[in-house]
Amino acid sequence: MPRKKRIVDLAAREQKLSYKLIAPAIIVLILVAFYPLFQVFYTSFTDRRFAAGVDEEVSFIGFENYRSLLGVTIMELHTVDDPDTGEATIDPQTGKVVYERAIRVLPRSPVRYRELMQFSFLGKRYVVGARDPVFLTAVWNTLLFTFFSVFLETLLGLGVALVVNSKFRARGAMRATMLIPWAVITVVSARIWEWMFASSRAGFFNMILNRLGLSDGQTSFLTTASLQLPTLIAVDVWKTTPFMALLILAGLQTIPNELYEAGQVDGAGRIRQFFSITLPLLKPAIAVALIFRTLDALRVFDVFQVIMGNRMFSMASYNYYQLIGNRNMGLASAIGVVIFIFIAVFAVIYIRMMGVDKE
Amino acid sequence: MKKLLLVGLALVFALVAMAQITITVATGAVGIELELARLAAQMYMDENPGVTVRVLDTPDMVQDRLGLYLQFFEARSPEVDVYQIDVIWPGDLAEHFVDLYEYGAAEVVDMHFPAIVENNTVDGRLIGLPWFLDAGLLFYRTDLLEKYGLDVPQTWEELEEYARIIQQGERATNPDFWGFVWQGNAYEGLTCDALEWIASNDGGTIISPDGVITIANTSAAEIIEKAAGWVGTISPTGVLGMAEESSRAVWQAGNAAFMRNWGYAYSLGMADDSVIKGKFDVAPLPAGKSGAGAATLGGWQLAVSRYSRNPEVAADVALFLASYEMQKMRAVDASYNPTIMDLYFDEDVLEATPFFGRLYDVFINTVARPSTVTSPNYTEASTLFFQAVHSVLSGRTDAESALEELALDLEDLTGFEAVIDF
Repeated sequence: MPRKKRIVDLAAREQKLSYKLIAPAIIVLILVAFYPLFQVFYTSFTDRRFAAGVDEEVSFIGFENYRSLLGVTIMELHTVDDPDTGEATIDPQTGKVVYERAIRVLPRSPVRYRELMQFSFLGKRYVVGARDPVFLTAVWNTLLFTFFSVFLETLLGLGVALVVNSKFRARGAMRATMLIPWAVITVVSARIWEWMFASSRAGFFNMILNRLGLSDGQTSFLTTASLQLPTLIAVDVWKTTPFMALLILAGLQTIPNELYEAGQVDGAGRIRQFFSITLPLLKPAIAVALIFRTLDALRVFDVFQVIMGNRMFSMASYNYYQLIGNRNMGLASAIGVVIFIFIAVFAVIYIRMMGVDKE
Repeated sequence: MKKLLLVGLALVFALVAMAQITITVATGAVGIELELARLAAQMYMDENPGVTVRVLDTPDMVQDRLGLYLQFFEARSPEVDVYQIDVIWPGDLAEHFVDLYEYGAAEVVDMHFPAIVENNTVDGRLIGLPWFLDAGLLFYRTDLLEKYGLDVPQTWEELEEYARIIQQGERATNPDFWGFVWQGNAYEGLTCDALEWIASNDGGTIISPDGVITIANTSAAEIIEKAAGWVGTISPTGVLGMAEESSRAVWQAGNAAFMRNWGYAYSLGMADDSVIKGKFDVAPLPAGKSGAGAATLGGWQLAVSRYSRNPEVAADVALFLASYEMQKMRAVDASYNPTIMDLYFDEDVLEATPFFGRLYDVFINTVARPSTVTSPNYTEASTLFFQAVHSVLSGRTDAESALEELALDLEDLTGFEAVIDF
């Protein structure tokens, strides 16, 4: 037998073995990841009901679920003209021009559009109608929540990591204590925060503000529209900053001390050292931490669900509401797919921008 | 010999354990509901040594509880045998429950209020055994009404005025005092509260029993606007996040003059640890334009899961829990309204909760939520309704726009015709 053939044989055998070795992992992946994902994609094209009766039929409805979630239209709003003069009426109280009501302008058939928002452009007034304004608002809430919470968590996490990275007594204890908020189950911590934000002086914050003479102690943090999102962001920042700090701390510890010594020899001050040595070398760690947190924040559920219930939705809590509350399993699956796509897009953008894959 | 005996004993225990049937009852945990259920379960177990009755407590908020139940149903899970179901659910959930008529319920149904039995009957099948009844009530502080020389309010206007007077007076000594607390969170409880306002103001019942969407009318808009005016004046702004228990917390701490709530709050308020013990009473809710107050029909039924492994035993447990004696115990100990008519004339019951006799008319003339006509879409219809009302209460929109939008939304959902009457 020629020698070459034997080598090829050996290579082929090894290749075969490698397939056998990764087969269990692939099978597990198919079972626990791809199959459910496929199931969700498939269900999102049907009108399946959750917890349906035994003999209820499911039909295929194409992209209808997606259309009903994402359908938008823009219509111009005309002014309400005075029948005699033909001029626009002006509200005597506010001094603003009166426009016709959006509900009269937005189309009703074959499908209905509800008012999402109004805006003025080039002196004309427009209304944005959406087939599901609640979902689009939920998307917007989630994006705002993600941006602000991740931003604040990164900043604070970096600060905390720098502090616990420096040498001081009881550093180990400090590092362990730092992790407590992260270790508390979110549902539990959300409930605790809900009580602290209670709308009477029984609530921690109202009591403090009242003692300081800053409010009457009756501020309703959780039902006032302008305070709702900031409150949720505060809770999330409290909870997840330790996680951020932990990831950044791991990055900090990989930076060799010699670099700082060299920097000192070259006459770089503390601040210069931070910007020229620490930050560039921390970039990969921060990038990983950012990806983790952003993707996590995009599918935020527990904080919204526990504290806001039906008053305000994130994408994921709206998904839950459609699935459990309204039993629209098809529609809920479509929301799941939309969240999936959002997260995929963000992941790709991050990986490209941070150059994480080139490391 | 001794050893043999021990082995024999162990064997017997093992056999008993195996023969032991476990029945799980999913009940609520509002107030002292859970303790009551555990007590009743223990009584059943004492009478039936072969059965273990496990009590599973479920979320306080109605939709959360429904969510949990639906997850059991989707999995066709035999985990829970008996479910405590809301008066609005029989239509939506009928397919997951057995017909109790097949398990001996026919002998007992005649004792119960016929309206509830009818509500629980879907296509001739008895889905749920009436367990207790609820009706929206006005709780008021007798001591404060006396102090300010006021009577029990008969109309919403009077309530508003009296609440303002008392709040103003009490604020001098208690900065946390409010006139009126109710359930304003965006959840099923707001549907109940708002339905009472609207029905008492001649505004109909959202969707009429013959399938016409009547909610978009001036009377309804008027009273919702009125309620929106309470927020931040006689009611805390936090009322928009309050459910039954959170409003009771304010009330029972002595920080409110009036409260809208269900009957269970009575015995809790009269308990020894309550600061308002003996200082309050219960009346029908105030009237609007219609001249009479309205009380939403609430209450809970016991239903047996189709996926139960032991439906006969489960049905027997349900029959026991809903029996005369058990309902009497719940009425005496915890002021849960019985669904058995005779109990309203039972001396022990009347002694413990005198208002049962006095408000008998309220209990038999309740307003039902439109759950039958909208089934199986009631939950979604109700969500649309309370979201619309909540948006008015929190000042995001005016009542007319919200109700018109709601009427169109309901039209899309149910296919019924909407009448817009502005």
